[in-house]
Amino acid sequence: MPIFSYLAIPKNGAKKALCTELDALDHCEIIPAENQDVVVLVTETPDETAEEELQDSLKNLQSLQSLSLAFGCDTSEQQEK
Amino acid sequence: MKQPAKEFTTRLVHPTCCLVAAFLCMTVAPLWAAGDSMNFDNQGKKLFDSYRATPEQNMSAGSSDRNLMQYYELRQYPGSPPQIPHEVAPSFSGEEPECLSCHANGGYSQEFGKFIPVTPHPEQVLCYQCHAKPQTEKLFVESKWQSIATPRLGRSFLSSSPPPIPHSLQLRENCIACHTGPGAVAEIRVAHADRGNCRQCHVPDVQTTPIATFTR
Amino acid sequence: MKLNRRRFMKYAAASSAIATAGSLFPGISFGNWQQVTGNSGIVSWEKAPCRFCGTGCGVLVGVSDGRAVAVKGDPSCSVNKGLCCMKGYHSVQALYGADRITTARVRKNGEMVEVPISEALDLVAAKLAETREKHGKDSVAMYGSGQWTIPDGYVASKLFKGCLGTNNVEANARLCMASAVTGFMTTFGLDEPMGCYEDIDNANVFITWGNNMAEMHPVLFSRMLANRKQRADVQIIDFATRLTRTSQAADKSILFNPQTDLAVANAICYEIINNDWVNWNFVNEHVSFHKGKTNIGYGTEDHFAFTDKAEPISLDEYKTFLEDYTPEKVEKISGVPAKDIKYLASLYGDPTVKVTSFWCMGMNQHTRGTWINNLVYNIHLLVGKISTPGSGPFSLTGQPSACGTVREVGTLTHALPHGVVMNEEDRKTAARIWDVPVENIDPKPTYHTVEMFRALDRGDIRFMWIQVTNPMVTMPNLNRYRKGAEKDDRFIVVSDVYPTPTTDVADVILPAAMWIEQEGLFGNSERRTQHFDEILTPPGEAMSDTWQIIEVARRLGFEKQFPWSRDDYIGKIWEEYRLFHAGAKHEMAPYTVLKKRSGVQWPFVNGKETRWRYNPKYDPACSNGKDFDFYGKKDNRAWIWARPYEPAAESPDGEFNFWLNTGRVIEHWHTGSMTRRVPVLNNAMPSSYVELHPDDAADLGVVNGEMVKIISRRGEIQMPAQIRGRGVPARGMVFVPFFDESYLINELTLDAFCPISKQPDYKKCAVRLEKA
Repeated sequence: MPIFSYLAIPKNGAKKALCTELDALDHCEIIPAENQDVVVLVTETPDETAEEELQDSLKNLQSLQSLSLAFGCDTSEQQEK
Repeated sequence: MKQPAKEFTTRLVHPTCCLVAAFLCMTVAPLWAAGDSMNFDNQGKKLFDSYRATPEQNMSAGSSDRNLMQYYELRQYPGSPPQIPHEVAPSFSGEEPECLSCHANGGYSQEFGKFIPVTPHPEQVLCYQCHAKPQTEKLFVESKWQSIATPRLGRSFLSSSPPPIPHSLQLRENCIACHTGPGAVAEIRVAHADRGNCRQCHVPDVQTTPIATFTR
Repeated sequence: MKLNRRRFMKYAAASSAIATAGSLFPGISFGNWQQVTGNSGIVSWEKAPCRFCGTGCGVLVGVSDGRAVAVKGDPSCSVNKGLCCMKGYHSVQALYGADRITTARVRKNGEMVEVPISEALDLVAAKLAETREKHGKDSVAMYGSGQWTIPDGYVASKLFKGCLGTNNVEANARLCMASAVTGFMTTFGLDEPMGCYEDIDNANVFITWGNNMAEMHPVLFSRMLANRKQRADVQIIDFATRLTRTSQAADKSILFNPQTDLAVANAICYEIINNDWVNWNFVNEHVSFHKGKTNIGYGTEDHFAFTDKAEPISLDEYKTFLEDYTPEKVEKISGVPAKDIKYLASLYGDPTVKVTSFWCMGMNQHTRGTWINNLVYNIHLLVGKISTPGSGPFSLTGQPSACGTVREVGTLTHALPHGVVMNEEDRKTAARIWDVPVENIDPKPTYHTVEMFRALDRGDIRFMWIQVTNPMVTMPNLNRYRKGAEKDDRFIVVSDVYPTPTTDVADVILPAAMWIEQEGLFGNSERRTQHFDEILTPPGEAMSDTWQIIEVARRLGFEKQFPWSRDDYIGKIWEEYRLFHAGAKHEMAPYTVLKKRSGVQWPFVNGKETRWRYNPKYDPACSNGKDFDFYGKKDNRAWIWARPYEPAAESPDGEFNFWLNTGRVIEHWHTGSMTRRVPVLNNAMPSSYVELHPDDAADLGVVNGEMVKIISRRGEIQMPAQIRGRGVPARGMVFVPFFDESYLINELTLDAFCPISKQPDYKKCAVRLEKA
C-alpha cells in the first residue's frame, strides 16, 4: 500500500486543468493552494502494479510542469506484523 | 527540500547572552504606569494611536528589502528580542534618542542604504536591556539549544479568512509597526494598510495548552 | 486499526507536502484542507448578507462541491465595501458543528426520541389545536426573533394574528430594539433611522452613547477610524459607563454613572438653549414640544400596565423643565464633570460641525429606554442636525433582521405588517391582503415578551413555539422563566440548529435550515433589505422556519392562506408582503431587484433608494414644500419631549453594593450557540468572565483568573475574574458577557423594563461580590 505525497506545479495558467485531470485519476487526492500555482497531490495505491500505472498516467498529464516528492511510505510491510 | 526550521536552529550564534537578555526583558520591562486608565486589552490604545499617527504613505509603502529568514536569524526563538545586526557608534549608550531616532518612526537610512524597521514598543527606551550587540560569532561551548518552529504563515481557518495572530501581543501590541511600511518584512506586510482596527478581523491564536472544542 | 493507520499516514503525507510548500512559497495557503479531502478545489462565490449582527455586511460565500468553504467581503455591497469582521469571515464554519440538529425529536415518556419531521409537525399542529380548544385562543403563542428571515416572521404573523386570531406573537427583538422603536414612534411617528451609513463618511464628530462599536459594530467602527485618519477634522467621543476598545480609540472618553444619561442629555439641551446655539429656523418650522407621564414604574410585577399620554407644552415650559438640569446640578448625579457636559453641548451646538450620535443596547436596554431615545433626538432637533449627510441620530441594531422582520413585518403583539392591531383601518388592510375575515384580527394586544413568559409561568399560555432564539439563556430573571417553561402541562416547540438550554426544555425540537440553507431576506439597521438564495442544501430533514410554519398552518386547515409551492414560496411571500408597504413612505423593492443587488434601501421609489428621509433633496415622500418634512406626525413636526431623570429599578445599596452590567464581546454573537462552534472564535474566547475595576479587585483580594461569586436578589454565580482585560468598568460596577451558557448571568438580572417599550434593562441591577 504505497502512499506518496508530491508538490505538483502546473504549466502556466493550467492550475484548474491540472486539478481536474488529477482529480479524475484513480488513487489521487488533491489539495490545491489558494494563492499560489501549487497543488499538493496525495496518492495511495493498492499495490506495485497500480503504482506503476499511476506513475505512467502522471507522466502523461498535459497540464503538469513538474512533480516533486515530499513524502513516501509503504504500509503493506507493517501490516503483516 | 530545505527545512526552514532546521536552518534557523543551526544558525544560532551566541545563545547564552541573548537568552539572558530575553529573560530580563520579560521580567523587568515595566508595564504602563498603573494609574493609566486606558491600560487594558493588551494596551489596545497603542494600536489606534499608531494607526492615526502613521502617515498613510508610510504604511502602504513597500521595499521588500528584508525577508522573514533574515528576521528570524536575529532571534533565538520566535518572540525573542532580536540582536542588533548593525554597527553602533562607540558612544552608543542604548538610551533615547539614539536608537529611537531611527527605530521610532522608520524611514530610509542613508548610512545603511536600507529602510529602517520600526519598534512596536517605542515607550521602552532602555534598548540595551533586551537587545544585544554580538561581538563575536565564536561560541564558548557548543549548545544543544533547539528552538520551536516559527509560526506558519497564512494559516487561515478558511481560504479567504484573515489569518489569526500567531504570536503573543506582549510588547507587540502595535501591529502597525511591524506589519506595514517599507521597513516591514515582506512576507508579513499587510496588503490593506488603510485599515486600523486590526483585531476586528484577526484573532489572537496563541495556544499554550489545547483549548477543548466547545461541547455542551 | 488498519484503516486508522492508513488514514494517519495519508494525513502525514499531506501535512508534509504542505509544510514543504510552505518553506518554498512563503505565505502559501491551503485553507481548511483537512476537512475537504477529495474536494475539487473549485469554488463558486454566492452573495448573502452576513448571518450575525444588524450592520448587514454583504458577504460572498465560497461554495465547493455543495459545501461552504470560505467567505469574502462583498466589494459591491455599500455597507462594508469588501471588509468583514472575524465573525463574518468564519461564519460558514458555524454551519458545520458536529452536534447539528438534523432530525426532529419528540419527548416521549421524558425522553427525546427521533421521529420523522412530518410526525413532529403533526404533533405540533394537533397540540396547538387541542390547547386552543381547551384553554382559549390566547393560550398559544409564537416567540420568534430578529434572526427570523422576513418570510419567517411574515407567515408567523399571518398564521397567529390573521388565522388563529391571537396577538400572541413576539420576538426577541423586544429585548433589543423595542425602545428604539418607541423612541422613533414618539418623536417622529415612523420607525427606523432617517440616515444611513454614508453619514460616517460625512460627519466630523461621532458620539457613541453607551455603545462599544469597536467590538459590536466593528465594520462601521473601522470605517469611522479610516475617516478620522483621512480627514483632519474628525473626532470620536465615547460616552459610556465602562472603558472599552471604543474608549481606547476615542479622542475623548467620558464615563457616567449608570442611568444618568437621562440627566446628561437634558443638561446638553439646557446648555444649547442657555448659549443660544438653537437652530431657531429649524425649531420654529419643524419641531413641537410635548410632555408625558412621569414616575412611570418598572414593570417588575405581573400584569403591569402603562399607557403614556402626550400633552403639548410651550417652549417656555420646556425651558422651565430644563432648569433642573444645569451642568453643575447634573455633575452631582452623573459623575460627569460640568466642563465635559459643556464640551459635549458645544460640539452639538457648533453650527459648522456635523455630528452623528450612535447607540445600541446601552440606550435601548434601559428602564427609561424610550425616554433616552427621545432625549438624544431632542439634542439633534434643537440644533437642526438631522436628516442631512453626516448629521443625525443613528440607532444601531444588534440582529441581522431586527429591522426587517420584527420592526417592518411587525412581529410584536401590538403590530401588523403595516400599522397596529388597535387601528381599524390597519386591521382591514391586513384582513384584505391575508384573505381572512377582519373579525379574526383581535384589536387588543396581549402579552409583550416578559409578560408572555410570565403568562407561560402562570399557565395563561400553555403552548409556545420558539424559533431562532435562545430565551433560556437570554431572559432576565431567568430562574423564574425556566421553571415556568419546565412545568408539566406546558408544551414547548423549539426550531433550532443546535442543542441549547432552550432545546433542553422543549417537548418538540424541529431541525431548522440555517442562514444560506434556505432562501430568505434580512433587513439591516439602515433600512436595507437583503436577499439571499438557498446556496446550500439543509442537512438531514432540516427545514426552513417559514416552511415549518406553512406545514403547520396547512395541517390546521389554512391551505387557502398558505397556498405556495416549495419551489418559489419566498418570492411569492415577498410580493404579498410588499403590498402592505406600498407608497412613497415605505415602498419596498420588488423581488427581482432584490435578487440581483447586494441589498436595497427602502423607501425604494421609482427605482431609487432613499438615503436620507424627511429631507426633500433625498426623500420623494416629502410634500410640504419646506426644507424638511417630518411627515410621520400629524402636525408634520418632530416632537421634542420633556422627559426627566428617574433612577434605575434597582440601584446598589448597603447590601448589594455593585452594579451588574451585561453585554457582548467581538468573538461571540449573542448566546454563542453558533460562534462557539467556530473553532477560531471559541479558542480566542473560550469562556465568560467577570470584569472588575482593578481597585475593586484589589479590595476584594482577587487577581486575574480567580473565582468571584456574584450574588443578586435573584440568583448567584461563580466565575473567573478578569482585570484589565477586554474592558474596565467604573469602580462599583462589574461587567459579564452573556454568551456562555455555562455561566447563566441572566439568572441574576432583573426583569424590569421600560413601561413604554416593555424592553428589559440588562445593564443595571444590584449585586454583591464575594471571593469564592
